[in-house]
Amino acid sequence: MRTSRTLGMVMIAPAAIMIFLFYLMPVVLTAIFAMTNMSTATGISGGAWQVTASAVNRLKTTLPELANGIAEPRFVIDEDGLKELEALKLKPGFATELRAQHIGGVYPSRREAERDIKALKDRPNTREVKQISDIFNRSVLNTRFESRDALMTSLDKLGFKLTPEQQQIVSDATYTGWVWTSENFSTIANSPDMLQILINTGIYVAVTLTLFNVTYALFLAVTTHYMPSNTASVFRAIWLLPRITPVVIYILLWKWMTWDNGFISLFLAQFGVPPKNYLLDSAYNAWFFVILINGFIGASMGMLVFSSAIKAIPQTQFHASEVDGASRWQQIRYIILPQLRWPILFVTCYQTLSLLASFQEIHLSTRGGPGKSTEVWSLAAFHTALNNYTGNLEYGLGAAMALVLVVVGLVLSLIYLRVFRYDTLISKPLIED
Amino acid sequence: MRILLDKFSKSFGTTSVIEDMNLEVGSGEMLALLGPSGCGKSTTLFAICGIHRPTAGRILFGDRDVTNLPSQERNVGVVFQSYALYPHMTVEENIGFPLTVRRVAASDIKKQVAGIAALVHIDNLLDRKPSQLSGGQQQRVALARALIRRPDVLLLDEPLANLDAKLRLEMRSEIRRLQKETGITAILVTHDQVEAMSMCDRIAIMKSGEIVQVATPSQMYQDPRTAFVAGFLGNPPISFLKGKAAHGAFVSTDGKLQMTLPALSGIADGTALTLGIRPEHFGTAGNVPVEGKVTFAETQGRENLYDVVLPDGSVIRSIQPVRDDVTLGDQVRWGIDSKSAFVFAEDGTRL
Ligand SMILES: Nc1ncnc2c1ncn2[C@@H]1O[C@H](COP(=O)(O)OP(=O)(O)OP(=O)(O)O)[C@@H](O)[C@H]1O
Ligand SMILES: [Mg+2]
Repeated sequence: MRTSRTLGMVMIAPAAIMIFLFYLMPVVLTAIFAMTNMSTATGISGGAWQVTASAVNRLKTTLPELANGIAEPRFVIDEDGLKELEALKLKPGFATELRAQHIGGVYPSRREAERDIKALKDRPNTREVKQISDIFNRSVLNTRFESRDALMTSLDKLGFKLTPEQQQIVSDATYTGWVWTSENFSTIANSPDMLQILINTGIYVAVTLTLFNVTYALFLAVTTHYMPSNTASVFRAIWLLPRITPVVIYILLWKWMTWDNGFISLFLAQFGVPPKNYLLDSAYNAWFFVILINGFIGASMGMLVFSSAIKAIPQTQFHASEVDGASRWQQIRYIILPQLRWPILFVTCYQTLSLLASFQEIHLSTRGGPGKSTEVWSLAAFHTALNNYTGNLEYGLGAAMALVLVVVGLVLSLIYLRVFRYDTLISKPLIED
Repeated sequence: MRILLDKFSKSFGTTSVIEDMNLEVGSGEMLALLGPSGCGKSTTLFAICGIHRPTAGRILFGDRDVTNLPSQERNVGVVFQSYALYPHMTVEENIGFPLTVRRVAASDIKKQVAGIAALVHIDNLLDRKPSQLSGGQQQRVALARALIRRPDVLLLDEPLANLDAKLRLEMRSEIRRLQKETGITAILVTHDQVEAMSMCDRIAIMKSGEIVQVATPSQMYQDPRTAFVAGFLGNPPISFLKGKAAHGAFVSTDGKLQMTLPALSGIADGTALTLGIRPEHFGTAGNVPVEGKVTFAETQGRENLYDVVLPDGSVIRSIQPVRDDVTLGDQVRWGIDSKSAFVFAEDGTRL
């Protein structure tokens, strides 16, 4: 008993490891990334503390005085600076006099510091004044500190006396690495752009799914069912072509057709219609083609599933229904469609998920354009996290968007199961009379 | 409505199943189609109801040529051998289907379904799906579905095969009564000769795609045209003895049995023959004595069955009123009723 259980565990281990690595890990990682603000700016490893202009901006609301002060250059005559000055081998009197007269002096601005430097007995010329003042520039603006303490010590030296709470605020504002946050989700919830993308996605999925992946696929399956088997095979093969053509080439064909010097334009030019890019000239047209492209690719799967499901219906049922007087249409309505409930549910679920998750066709054809009119959720996640023009890739926000997609997919699947009354699709055991 | 098959042929690709079949079923008649498995009974029915198009020949309903008419326009009720119920519909929907597609009002359908379901005793099962029914119950649903829209022609492909003995008797008379009342022309395919003989006006016996003989049950029994027909009808079946013709008599292979038969006058001596003796024509009353050993004895209640092995090894069956003086292993001397014996030529035709 014990050994067989251990053996069982050993046997199942490879599968368990595979499931963990390739099925659970991506979701878990997505969830983890979604809870951070990782981006190109923060990097994905730890960061540093740096008083950047934007950090100063962030501080302005909470600590306006500090923000203003920190932004200004500060000049401090200290031993470090003096040693550096000596190493420059200018007139030795500069260093000597500064050490004697001004050691410890803090100047809130360059002008004040340079006034004292100019007043030195050895009379530095303008270039030397600048050189010397640069040495004593102790501004924190744009200086990188490897640790929080280094930043705080530096601020302290410059005369900013901060309470621990204030220190925390400054630390948060100046940290350049990623941090844990749930801000991504509030960003998604509050952004009108995101709402628009959500609406786009809903329309795209619903229309493609109902018109093509289910209805058109059903139409193809039913029509081929009533064809002689050889003809049916030929038609099925033709209707599979969009699926088996590499998607880049298939979309290139559509582009050739819709470009301003493409087929449609050339054809309509015969009738005096000026050429234009039909794919991108209006949001309406862009949607039209995006749905058409995805529909023709997606319908093939439904067609195959429905065809084989219809094939599985025993011939005698068709015979019986003919004898019973059913017309073709009645056969479809009463015999075929009711028995396709499970395949339709399957295709609906599967295609909803794949439509939600796939964006390559849109990416290759309209790139979400014109403007952002054909931007759908997965494409937006891709743009946010992995590919955009500004160059700041927001991995955290992108991951949060992807996570939303996963949740939406799960919820939709559950709804479908209810709508199709999954329980009634499972036959009950035989009850004896 | 009369059904006429005129030189009807059917082949599937290169395999020819039926060739030049002629068959007429009179209006209001019920005909049994009897024959071994694979002889083409279902194929014939499928052609009559329009599922298969004949390869050649014509099919007439009355005087109307329906050869190229689709099933939907023939008004034929069919009980399929495999029932062919619709698994996703309830019993009620299954039975009502022929009316549903005719757009009969739902309340009418409900009423008619209830009536016909009561007739075949499944009125308590109307809400079930076919998968929740026993084989016999499914068969009755199929029967109800075929009957509900009062077809001109009713085709029954072994409609009672799965019923128990009592229900089968009951359904036999129900179907027969319904058929007579409504005047439907019916063809019944069956393997059960008792069913064929008790239900039908006439019997057609088929063998590998051909009709061997069409006759009333009693004619068929008393006057079989071939050894095949004689062997097919009768339970327990007829016994055959091999022999030759000699001086207008049948002589068994070992010469011990000799029987003068009027049918053999003018048959050349030495012609190979087969003698057919029904079990009821072999017993104490027969005029041609035969000696043998009882190798099988069985009582059926009212009657006893015996197998008697002759010295040359051939077996004759006998059925007699119950008696208990004969037991297994006894040597008996019983007689064959020569007037009722059939003699067949080597190719099986009756002489
Ligand atoms: N679609 C078909 N294609 C090829 N051969 C067929 C086809 N349908 C039937 N057959 C052949 O035709 C012959 C007659 O078949 P059919 O079903 O009519 O037999 P049957 O008399 O009804 O037999 P059973 O009593 O077993 O039902 C069989 O040899 C069968 O193999
Ligand atoms: Mg059959």
